[in-house]
Amino acid sequence: MARVVALQQNQLSFSPLASSLSDFSGTRLQTQLQFKRKLWQPKGSFHVSASSTKKILIMGGTRFIGVFLSRLLVKEGHQVTLFTRGKAPVTQQLPGESDSDYADFSSKILHLKGDRKDFDFVKSSLSAQGFDVVYDINGREADEVEPILDALPNLEQFIYCSSAGVYLKSDLLPHAETDAVDPKSRHKGKLETESLLQSKGVNWTSIRPVYIYGPLNYNPVEEWFFHRLKAGRPIPIPSSGLQITQLGHVKDLARAFIQVLGNDKASKQVFNISGEKYVTFDGLARACAKAGGFPEPELIHYNPKDFDFGKKKSFPFRDQHFFASVEKAKSVLGFVPEFDLVEGLADSYNLDFGRGTYRKEADFSTDDIILGKSLVGV
Amino acid sequence: MATLASSSSTVLFSASSSNLLPFSHPSTSRLSFSSSLHPASSSLSISPTFLPYTSSTSANFATHAAFSVTASAADKKKVLIVNTNSGGHAVIGFYFAKELLAAGHAVTIFTVGEQGSDKMKKPPFNRFSEIVSAGGRTVWGDPAEVGSIVGGEVFDAVLDNNGKDLETVRPVIDWAKSSGAKQFLFISSAGIYKPTDEPPHVEGDVVNANAGHVEVEKYIEETFGSWAVFRPQYMIGSGNNKDCEEWFFDRIVRDRPVPIPGSGLQLSNIAHVRDLSSMLTLAVEKPEAANHSIFNCVSDRAVTLDGIAKLCAQAAGRPVNIVHYDPKAVGVDAKKAFPFRTYHFYAEPRAAKTKLGWQSTTNLPEDLKERFEEYVKIGRDKKPIKFELDDKILEALKVPVPV
Repeated sequence: MARVVALQQNQLSFSPLASSLSDFSGTRLQTQLQFKRKLWQPKGSFHVSASSTKKILIMGGTRFIGVFLSRLLVKEGHQVTLFTRGKAPVTQQLPGESDSDYADFSSKILHLKGDRKDFDFVKSSLSAQGFDVVYDINGREADEVEPILDALPNLEQFIYCSSAGVYLKSDLLPHAETDAVDPKSRHKGKLETESLLQSKGVNWTSIRPVYIYGPLNYNPVEEWFFHRLKAGRPIPIPSSGLQITQLGHVKDLARAFIQVLGNDKASKQVFNISGEKYVTFDGLARACAKAGGFPEPELIHYNPKDFDFGKKKSFPFRDQHFFASVEKAKSVLGFVPEFDLVEGLADSYNLDFGRGTYRKEADFSTDDIILGKSLVGV
Repeated sequence: MATLASSSSTVLFSASSSNLLPFSHPSTSRLSFSSSLHPASSSLSISPTFLPYTSSTSANFATHAAFSVTASAADKKKVLIVNTNSGGHAVIGFYFAKELLAAGHAVTIFTVGEQGSDKMKKPPFNRFSEIVSAGGRTVWGDPAEVGSIVGGEVFDAVLDNNGKDLETVRPVIDWAKSSGAKQFLFISSAGIYKPTDEPPHVEGDVVNANAGHVEVEKYIEETFGSWAVFRPQYMIGSGNNKDCEEWFFDRIVRDRPVPIPGSGLQLSNIAHVRDLSSMLTLAVEKPEAANHSIFNCVSDRAVTLDGIAKLCAQAAGRPVNIVHYDPKAVGVDAKKAFPFRTYHFYAEPRAAKTKLGWQSTTNLPEDLKERFEEYVKIGRDKKPIKFELDDKILEALKVPVPV
């Protein structure tokens, strides 16, 4: 929600806003006081324009997170533009969305067609239009973000969808925002982007989701389980099935993205966003069954080292513990996930897979390899 | 530098650095100033109770320097601790007593049993002189007769860190109520949570209705106006009455394999006992904030069983050879062969953070170094130990053991 910060000249107040800045050091404090003395909107400032309607650009926005986020932003009255190549339709009616809601949304959403890898085009088209806020939902590499920042010197906020995948694997969990990150992870582009944002002086916020789920998920997370449950097949789970992971509903994530908009407490901060509880692999299989109204599934455990699946993935999750604490978002932003796991999976099932829609055809080839071999207890 | 806000409302400053450098380091000295300034209490001295320290791994969520406010006369509490005379929880009362005394409160620690018993020759009891020299009172007896032993004194807060069932704790609760004690605190156990597919155990989650601690918790809720219940897991710290990390050091320092039942991926939670003590102290100092609350009395990080072994080895500066086994297949009782629960057992201290403004300071890599230093200092690394169950396990797995 947009916050209005009224500045008065000569107001030297040590307000709670100052204390929420990331680095509680003397120098930062002084700078903040200086800001307050001048009636001024510096580049990337913590001050937000008085108008509650913002001109917002979403990089992406037609696939998953952005579909829900853009709707929330339009409902709040913002002018929202989606920057996409136009390969997918700019808008699609969501399952469960009324015709009138969809008509309203699709009449208001704007489209900027282009390839974000064409940096010159990005820079020229964005600077021509000017935007108050950018949500970067599909950025992977730091070089994709530079032209955006160059094009918009007066940008109020750059909100980035990063990933909890940046955390260095640890024996101590959950991951917290202050934990060590892994410069060699396959998400290093996200890390490099975060570093770039930090170095540029822009007012940025970075969100690190864990595994995202919900209707329209293009990553076969819940879908992987639903295919097997529907087919009445046993569910092959690597090793003990005690590995702990974490899912966050896409609608809760979209709400978190709204919560950081124009929020001084989110300025130059990183937030893990996901569900409040974690789940074991075995537990997730059971939760998917509950959500879809399937009987309790048969779980088969196997040692992944006994098999060679080639390039195919035999299970949709990292074979390790992987979960992050969302306490910072809860205490700083007041983030409260609305969905618990079974409810959220039911929402996904009822609006997507349960209606006969899914992104990937069922592929049980790795299951059959596993089931074919005699199974040894792990 | 922390500066004091002029407002009299509760102010929480937390410095959390965003830490985005690819090779990130934990911030070196991060200060947390957490205080609840009541208009009634004026000019209080602010003294750091914990020194800021750096850690080689970023194992903490937040801050290490907690500025605690020394109690003024108006806020001084009289606290009675009814303490067990053995086991993993014994050390809690010891740290709690010392922390309360350092903060200016009055403390009586009532230990179950007899002052002259053999049990009193073990830590933390053999260090009770530290409580006495800090101004605390130490008494012994049967908790069913607590009233006559503490002699009609009226306490602000009574902590039962002894009983595991209603039969044992009820006399203490009943006496506390009738004597006019304002607040009742109880050390329960996170072991009462029902196993779940969705960790962590969070305050409010379903518990095992048959557990003795649950009956006690219920009775406290029915009886006392102001109460709080604390559910701990495992703890480490000097003065501990029960082995924890020592089990791992014993094997690592003798170059023996460390047999861990199951996959070793099972999560557990080990807190430095100072974290439990600080949570209890906050509850005493902020009874309204703590009222009617259950608190998971644990650190804010889980560690795997394999992880404990690895961290102990790192603390000892030695390699570790972890060997996994199936207790049933080998024919041993895991409860006898291994000091931790062999399934996921992980609670998070969420209520303490939101209601009390409590922060965890446990830093296992650093804390275990300290523990190892003491382990060596007392000569335990040289002590001859028999590893009968280990040998049985390793024999079954055909793992060689150095002579």
